[in-house]
Amino acid sequence: MLSALGNPRQAAAQLMNFGLILSTAFMMWKGLSVISDSPSPIVVVLSGSMEPAFQRGDLLLLWNRNLFTETSVGEVVVYNVRDKDIPIVHRVISKFGTGFVIPRQWWLFMGIYNNDSDDTKLYAPGQNYLVREDIIGRSVVGYMPFVGYVTIMLSEHPWMKTVMLGIMGLVVVLQRE
Amino acid sequence: MATQEKITVYNLADLKNTTDDAIPNYLTSLSFTPSHLLTDVRLALGFSAFALSAACFAWDYNFGFESTKTYTAFAVALYTILNGLLTFWIFYVEKGTIYQGTSPKGDKIRISTETKKNVPVYHMTIEVKDGKTGERKTLKISRSFTEWFDAAGRFVAAPLQTVLAQGVGVIGRVDTKRANAAKVEGGEAGPSAVYTPEMLAMLSGEGVSVVGSAAETATGTEAAEAKKGGKRRKN
Repeated sequence: MLSALGNPRQAAAQLMNFGLILSTAFMMWKGLSVISDSPSPIVVVLSGSMEPAFQRGDLLLLWNRNLFTETSVGEVVVYNVRDKDIPIVHRVISKFGTGFVIPRQWWLFMGIYNNDSDDTKLYAPGQNYLVREDIIGRSVVGYMPFVGYVTIMLSEHPWMKTVMLGIMGLVVVLQRE
Repeated sequence: MATQEKITVYNLADLKNTTDDAIPNYLTSLSFTPSHLLTDVRLALGFSAFALSAACFAWDYNFGFESTKTYTAFAVALYTILNGLLTFWIFYVEKGTIYQGTSPKGDKIRISTETKKNVPVYHMTIEVKDGKTGERKTLKISRSFTEWFDAAGRFVAAPLQTVLAQGVGVIGRVDTKRANAAKVEGGEAGPSAVYTPEMLAMLSGEGVSVVGSAAETATGTEAAEAKKGGKRRKN
C-alpha cells in the first residue's frame, strides 16, 4: 500500500528500488557494450532488406571486436551512417584500403532480393564509403526472431512507451515485494 | 482503530508488511530509540550505485560511446561491485531486520521477521543485548497472523503488542501494563491465541477501545495515521 508516504526512509527505499531497476537495466546494457565493444550491442532489424536471412523484428546480438581477423568481404555487419542513428544490417561486398562498400542483401538468392545496387545512396552527403569506425557490429553472434517487434511497436507508437513506463512505475510504487 | 485501512487477508505480503510497520510504531510509542544504521547503509549503497549509473548515462549521452568507453567500463565494474555489496547487505547483514534500537532502560534489541511461502505464520527472531550485563540472547517467536488480524483484514494492535510484551523481556519491562494484562486475560487461553476471533472483531470495531493504552493509539499502520493526521483519534 501507500504506507511509505509517512516514512521518509521507506519512501526513499522504494524510490531507490525503482531507480535500481532502471539503472541495472542500463548498466547491463552498458556492460554488454563494453564487452562487445559496440555502442549498440543489440539491434532490431527494422526492414526486410536482409530477408530471408533476417526478418523485420529479429533481435541481433552483435560483436564488434577484431581479435584475430580483419572484417572481410562477405561478412554481415551492422553500421551507422554518419549523423544518423539508425543501424543498418547489410553484407560487405567490396573492400578497398580501409573502407567498405556495403550493399543490401547478398545471400543465397543472389539477384532476387534487393541487391540491385550498393548502399552508397543511403550514406550521408559526401560520404562515399564507410570506415571501420562506422561499423557498430562486425558480426552477428546470435539472433532471436520476432522479439524485436516489441521495440518496433514502441518506436512506431510512442504513446505505448509512456503507458509502459507509467505501468512499471505504478507497480513498483504500489507493491513492496 | 476504526478508520484503519483493511488489507486482503489472503495476501501474505500485506499481512507481513502491515505487521512489520506496526512493530516499530509500537516500540517508538514505548520510547525506544530506533537505530537506522542498517537502512541508511542500504540507502547509501543503492543511491550511490544509482548516481554512478546516472553519471554514466550523462557522459554517454553527451560525449558518445567511443570517447568514454574506458570510463564506462570502470563504471560498469564499480556498479557491479556496489550492487553486489547491496545484495550482500540485504541478505546477510539485514536478514529481514525490521527494527533495531535501544529501550529506555538501555537494552539493545533487533527484530527480524520472515514468512514462509503460503503459510500465514509470522516468524520473529529477536536479538537482545542486555544494557547492564552485556549478555546476548536470541529469541524466536512464531505466531499466526490470525492472532492480530480479524476476519475482515483489520489490524488489531493489542494482541501483537501482548505477544511482544509477553515474549520479550526487554519490551515487557517497559510495557508492564501489556505484559501483566496479558497474564490476566490470557489465563485460560493457553500459550497461543490470547485473543479469540470474536475479541479481535470487537477490538477493531467502531469506537471501541478495550485496552486503551497509549501504545495502541500510536501503533496503527502508518497509512491510517497519515489519513487521520497524526495521532488524533476519532472518538
